[in-house]
Amino acid sequence: MIPRPIGRADKDFFIVARDIKYSYGDGIEALKGVSLRIGKGEFIAVVGGNGSGKTTLAKNMNGLLRPTSGSLDVAGRPSAEMTVAELAHHIGYAFQNPDHQLFSGTVEEEVRFGPKNLGMEEQEVEKQTEHAIAHMGLQEYRQVQPLTLTLGLRRKVSIASVIAMDPQVILLDEPTTGLDGREIADLMKCAVSLNEEGHTLILITHDMRLVAQYARRVLVMAGGRLILDSDPAGVFSDLEILASTKLEPPPVTVLAHSLGGFGIPKDIATPEQLVDAIMRARGGTQ
Amino acid sequence: MTAFVDLYTEGDTFLHRMDPRVKILGVVFLTVLALIIGNLYYLLTLLAAIGILLALGRAKLSKTLYALKMVLRVMVLIVILWPFFNPTGTPVLFHYGIIKITQPGIIKGIAVAIRIACLASVWYILMFTTTQRDLVRALVKMGLRFDFGLALSIALRFLPTFGAMVESIRDAQRARGMEFDRGSVFKRSRKYVAVLVPTIVGALRTADTLSLALQSRAYGARKDRTYLRDFSMRTSDYAALALFGLALALPAFAKYALNVHI
Repeated sequence: MIPRPIGRADKDFFIVARDIKYSYGDGIEALKGVSLRIGKGEFIAVVGGNGSGKTTLAKNMNGLLRPTSGSLDVAGRPSAEMTVAELAHHIGYAFQNPDHQLFSGTVEEEVRFGPKNLGMEEQEVEKQTEHAIAHMGLQEYRQVQPLTLTLGLRRKVSIASVIAMDPQVILLDEPTTGLDGREIADLMKCAVSLNEEGHTLILITHDMRLVAQYARRVLVMAGGRLILDSDPAGVFSDLEILASTKLEPPPVTVLAHSLGGFGIPKDIATPEQLVDAIMRARGGTQ
Repeated sequence: MTAFVDLYTEGDTFLHRMDPRVKILGVVFLTVLALIIGNLYYLLTLLAAIGILLALGRAKLSKTLYALKMVLRVMVLIVILWPFFNPTGTPVLFHYGIIKITQPGIIKGIAVAIRIACLASVWYILMFTTTQRDLVRALVKMGLRFDFGLALSIALRFLPTFGAMVESIRDAQRARGMEFDRGSVFKRSRKYVAVLVPTIVGALRTADTLSLALQSRAYGARKDRTYLRDFSMRTSDYAALALFGLALALPAFAKYALNVHI
C-alpha cells in the first residue's frame, strides 16, 4: 500500500534520517534516536501525545534545530551543510499558529515574502505567488490585510506563504486546531491537491479521523522515539500501541474492534472500509 | 530567557526570610550610601560588605556573574575612558597634545566603576532573595496603588511568555527563508519588522483576553481589598532595618555634619 523503504537505496528518498537525537539546552532529550526515510509524493501523518517529539522532529528536518547526534540528509545532501534558508526551499514548514508569521499589509505581499527571501527572479516570484494564492483559494482576499481574516483563512495564508517557496516537502504543524468541520475539509482538500501535484505532505496532528481519512503512512511518536511506522490500518489494528501514546483511535475503529466477534477485521480506519467489511461478513454484495 | 527575567534563587537564608519591605529600604539606603561615598577604598569596603551579604544569601556564583555581565562591560569602559575625560590633579602621567592622563583621573575612574559594581550587586541581593510576587506585594504595602502593582506583576509574569513568542516568531520567519544575520545593520533592523508586527499583534491580543479574564473574575468589585498573605515585622526585621539605617546614617553624618572627606 505504501512504498516500503525495504530494498531501496537511500538515494531514492528525499529525507533520510539516521539515528538522530536532539537535546534541548536544559538537558531534556526530546529525540532519542529516530531513523526514517521519506520519499517524494508521500502523504504522512505524524502522531503522538503532547511532548512526544513531533514538533522537535519537524524542526530538525528544516534546520531550525540541528540534531545533537546522528545524520540527516535532505535532497541528497547532508542538512548540516545547508542554512535554514536553503532548507526552506526543500522543506516548507507552516507553523501551528499562523499569527506568528503574518505581518504584511496584504495577503499578496505576505505570500511573496518567502520566495523573495530565497532570492528568486522577479518573474518566478510572481509565478509562485500566483500559484500559491490560487492553490489555497485565496484569490478574492489578495488585497486584504491578513490579520483581519478568520483563523481558517489566516492559516491558509500561512500555508500559501510556505508553498510559494516551492518546497518539495510541505510540513503542516497541527493545521486543523481551532477550525470547524467545513474549514477542516476545505483545508484538507488543498493539502490533497498539493500531494497530487507531487509534493510530499507531512501532517502533524492529534486528529485521528484526519489520519484515517488522508494519510497513507503514519509515524507514531512516543517519548522521543518513533515507535511505529506503518499504514493507517496497521496503526489502528493495534489499539494497545495507540493507548500507550495517549491517542484516541477514530470511533469507527473502536466499533470495528467491538464487532470482532462477527468477523469484522481490526484494521478499519474509515466508515467506507467498515461498510465493505460488513458486506463481506454477510457474504453478500451491495 | 527565564533566567534573564527572574533572578530569584531558591533559598532559606536570613536574607530570603527578611521582610521584603525591609529589604527594599535596606537596598535603597545602601544605594544612597554608594552614591555619597567618593573614596576608592571606602567603596571597595562597601563592595566587600555587599559581597559578604551575597555569600550569606548563598548566591550562586554562575548566576551572579551572568546577572552582572552587562555591568562588567560598562565598568571596563569607564575604567578605560574616564582618565581621558577627567585629567585633573597631579601627578601627570602622560601628556601629548590634547591628551593628558593624571593619576587622580585613573583612580577616580576605578572608583566610579566600583560604585557601579556596588549599585548593581546591592540590587541583585534584593532580586535574588525576593520572589517577584513578594516584591510587588511589598511595594503595594508601602503605598503603591494596587492597580499599578497588578500591572507590574502582570508585566513581570508575561516577560518570559513574550520571550518564547518572539523566539517562535523568529523561527517561523526563518522557516520562510529570512536570514536575520545577513546584510548591513540598516537592512538587518528592517528585517525585524517581520518579528515586531506579529509580536505587537500578539501582545495586544493577549492583553485583550487577559482584561476579559480579570473582569470575569470580578476584578475591582470591592474597593477595600483584603489580603490572603500579610507581612508582619519580626524582631530580626527591626534589627536589620536599624543596621541598614546606621550603615547609611553614620557615613552621612560624618560627611555632611563633620565634613569628613569620604
